[in-house]
Amino acid sequence: MFSARSAFLSIPSPAPLVEEFLQQLTNGLAVGGIYALIALGYTMVYGVLKLINFAHGDLFTYGAYLGLTLLTSLALTDRVGFALGVLVLVLMVMGLVAVLGAVLERAAYRPLRESPRLSAVVSALGASIFLQNTLMLIYGARFQVYPDGILPSATLDLFGLYLPLMRVLIVLASVLMMVALYLFIQKTKIGAAIRAAAIDQDAARLMGIDVNRVILLVFLLGPALGGAAGLMVGLYYGQINFAMGWVYGMKAFTAAILGGIGNIPGAMAGGLLLGVIEALGAAYISIAWKDAIAFCVLILILIVRPTGLLGERVADKI
Amino acid sequence: MKQKFLTLVTAFALVASGAVARAADTVKIGLMAPLTGSWASEGQGMKKIVELLAEQQNAKGGVLGKQIEVVVEDDGGDPRTASLAAQRLTTRGVAAVVGTYGSSVTEASQAIYDEAKIPQIANGSTAIRLTEKGFEHFFRTAPRDDEQGRMAAQTIEKLGFKKAAILHDSTSYAKGLADEANALLKKKGTEVVFFDALTPKENDYTAILTKLKGAGPDVVLFTGYYPEAGLLLKQKKGMNWSVPFIGGDATNNVDLVKIAGKAAEGFYFLSPPQPQDLDTADAKAFLTAYQKKYNELPPSIWAVLAGDGFRVAVAGIVGAKSTDGDKIANYLHKDLKHYPGLSGQISFDAKGDREGEVYRVYKVDGEGKFVLQKL
Amino acid sequence: MSRAHLAVAGLAAALLAVAPLFLNAYQVDVLNSIGLYALLALSLNLILGEAGLFNMGHAAFYAMGAYTAAILNTRYQIPILWTLPASGAVAGAFALLVARPVVHLRGDYLMIVTIGVGEIVRIALVNDVFGITGGANGIFGIGRPKLLGFTIRQPQEFFYLIWGFVAVTIFLFLRLKRSRFGRALNYLREDVVAAEGSGINTDYYKLAAFGLGAAWAGMAGTLFAAKMTIISPESFSFWESVVLFMIVILGGAGSIAGVLLASFLVVGLPELFRELAGARMLVFGLVMMVMMVFRPQGLLPARERF
Repeated sequence: MFSARSAFLSIPSPAPLVEEFLQQLTNGLAVGGIYALIALGYTMVYGVLKLINFAHGDLFTYGAYLGLTLLTSLALTDRVGFALGVLVLVLMVMGLVAVLGAVLERAAYRPLRESPRLSAVVSALGASIFLQNTLMLIYGARFQVYPDGILPSATLDLFGLYLPLMRVLIVLASVLMMVALYLFIQKTKIGAAIRAAAIDQDAARLMGIDVNRVILLVFLLGPALGGAAGLMVGLYYGQINFAMGWVYGMKAFTAAILGGIGNIPGAMAGGLLLGVIEALGAAYISIAWKDAIAFCVLILILIVRPTGLLGERVADKI
Repeated sequence: MKQKFLTLVTAFALVASGAVARAADTVKIGLMAPLTGSWASEGQGMKKIVELLAEQQNAKGGVLGKQIEVVVEDDGGDPRTASLAAQRLTTRGVAAVVGTYGSSVTEASQAIYDEAKIPQIANGSTAIRLTEKGFEHFFRTAPRDDEQGRMAAQTIEKLGFKKAAILHDSTSYAKGLADEANALLKKKGTEVVFFDALTPKENDYTAILTKLKGAGPDVVLFTGYYPEAGLLLKQKKGMNWSVPFIGGDATNNVDLVKIAGKAAEGFYFLSPPQPQDLDTADAKAFLTAYQKKYNELPPSIWAVLAGDGFRVAVAGIVGAKSTDGDKIANYLHKDLKHYPGLSGQISFDAKGDREGEVYRVYKVDGEGKFVLQKL
Repeated sequence: MSRAHLAVAGLAAALLAVAPLFLNAYQVDVLNSIGLYALLALSLNLILGEAGLFNMGHAAFYAMGAYTAAILNTRYQIPILWTLPASGAVAGAFALLVARPVVHLRGDYLMIVTIGVGEIVRIALVNDVFGITGGANGIFGIGRPKLLGFTIRQPQEFFYLIWGFVAVTIFLFLRLKRSRFGRALNYLREDVVAAEGSGINTDYYKLAAFGLGAAWAGMAGTLFAAKMTIISPESFSFWESVVLFMIVILGGAGSIAGVLLASFLVVGLPELFRELAGARMLVFGLVMMVMMVFRPQGLLPARERF
């Protein structure tokens, strides 16, 4: 359908090995884009609250399930056309998951603001288990499947590289959202407030910043992006299950650390990098050891450069 | 503070002892199934089938003049939970136990039933070693992995493929089947150009597919389960790669087509006959009753094999005229021959394995239907 | 410990000791499960509760011990209980090796590293590392333990083996808690900088806690292998580490009685509510959240030392 191997693109294919390498690179970037979107939620919450929001991966799952329910019950793509339908769907899912994130903050984290960090970590784990099992009780333990054929299944064929159109769109969409977030944090007044609260909450408060509102905002933004990532995974891969937040969340968190937690460009870079490490690790070392390779890289980075690639210092010793 | 601790311990002990089974005038048959966890859909199907069969048997007067009571325990698809479930069933006076699905889960319960002298009839556990340990109370209605491995190698040969790639998912079942097929293919002179494992429960397998493609096979044997098979097929199509895939019996599930959509077309898999391809009048009648009661088809053949396990257990009790475990096991080993099960005739050999060929080859057609192949 | 406390503890122990006489095999087996988790949680308590090091990969050390025992037993026919020291040593040495370069990391970073180590170990086991772990099949045919010529088979017999080990553990850990070593660990937990300032070699004590806790988990692994006679990687998943972590925090970090109580609740209660399959985990998650808001110090917190 979309075969671009046409006359004006008749540049000869690169050698098979190079071709395979490039294909793996694009495979990695596509997976990494999703990791990066989720990683942003971890990194923002950590930046402001110094808390690992274990339930963030589950908010991502909620994005995927809410998307499925809305998609099948509203039949948006049939009514208003594909592009507009998907856009409305994305916005609805982002809104709903953002609200869920804010509720989570209010119920599970705000009461623990002054408690030791360990309490908040355990509460986050509890929230994760709670969210996951609620989903299981509502939808059942079986995985759910997005209806087939909603997305166009065209494949771009660039010099022998196969790029399903949707993959390209997903990477573009995630990069777009990340850039928007980055600009928001860097260029707006509210963004400056978030940055100030991340550096020193007390000082920010003295400067007249409503830290509670900043935290609430962070818990709206992060989950909105996570929910969008969940919807994209559902739309593109088609298969979702109630426990998938564990795996994606863990990977995304690793990505956040890789890039330097608390650092927004770091989360993006870390996500894409982790995706690529996994794909290349699978290709050139071993498929079965792919996750172990990713974790080894993480541990090595923490040992050699505990700040992550772009982040703050984390060692206790001064 | 300690006071609280003590109260809790006492309360715990009291509640726990309250759960002791009541003596009742029924014949109890246990079912150990993964009602929760990864294989919950299989477990739920097993439960539905066994409960329906028990209902039917009770309508016919039960067994030994008593009604049958099915005692269901959840093994969670996990060995530790399974060993607790098995302990629990042994204390509840069951005459025989049907189940379970996963091989390592069954393995964790085998010794417990054997020591309690309770016959166990597994339905989905195909690992070879389960029947190589000399347990006299262990049977299975499922075929063994070596038989499936033989069938896989044979099918690849018959379809005329010369370069095979083998992909498994590191579960004990898939790895066993992959090893078996690998050894046989090599012996027969088929080249195996790829052998590796994917990580189950992920969404993106393009990295693996790209690597597979680089190895240049003319057929891929995937020995894992249907969720991954569906994704592989879908993403393979996204890469415009048309190599045929052959799946093991764990890919036999209607959800495969739901996940892969159109991309499932042309996929071959090996399996004991589909519930709807069961050809005896008895099986057809049962399927009608099942559809009437639950308004769906059984999730897979494994649930039907649990039904066969239940029927065999009843036949054993009737044949032995007793609920004594040794007598039932003895009857099943020696006297039960060509018993008409839902999935065909059932006889057990000395090890407790099912005798005879069970596997068939299926291919998915353009409408997503599973069509029996004649090779 | 006051006299009243002693009396209550003694009574609880006596009650537990005679419990198998009144319970059926299943109920005793639940108690065995609780005992194993209690052992593991007590060992984690040394690391997490006493020294305050966030370790969420404890299942890795448990797995090390279980696999060492299983390999020595099935390959070299060493009686399973004789492998206890080896299992402990291997798990402890592994922990030291892993912890050495990362032990100075700040709390939650250490947690991520330990999660990573747990996953790497599990993946290595699944992939049949060095060809000795049996891959996803795991190792089967592990011999039954023999004690003084008596073979331990039934749940009732395992009960005394496991809970005997728990009793010894409690005794030793109580002594340890009151020693100079225990006090040093607690300083560490409360304030690392101050501890270092008052002349405590923090890295040494952190590593010692890690090594000792891991070694104990390794020995618990031996008991697990002996009881199950088959071990496979899925028994040592990330989830196991999380459960152990929760037991320690819910019971009260640093409190032996608390950890014991939490083992009963976390492992025992879900068994009581088996019928509620799905909902029990939901309640579990909810309880964790509520607990942290209203009783973050745990059910039976350790008494303040300072």
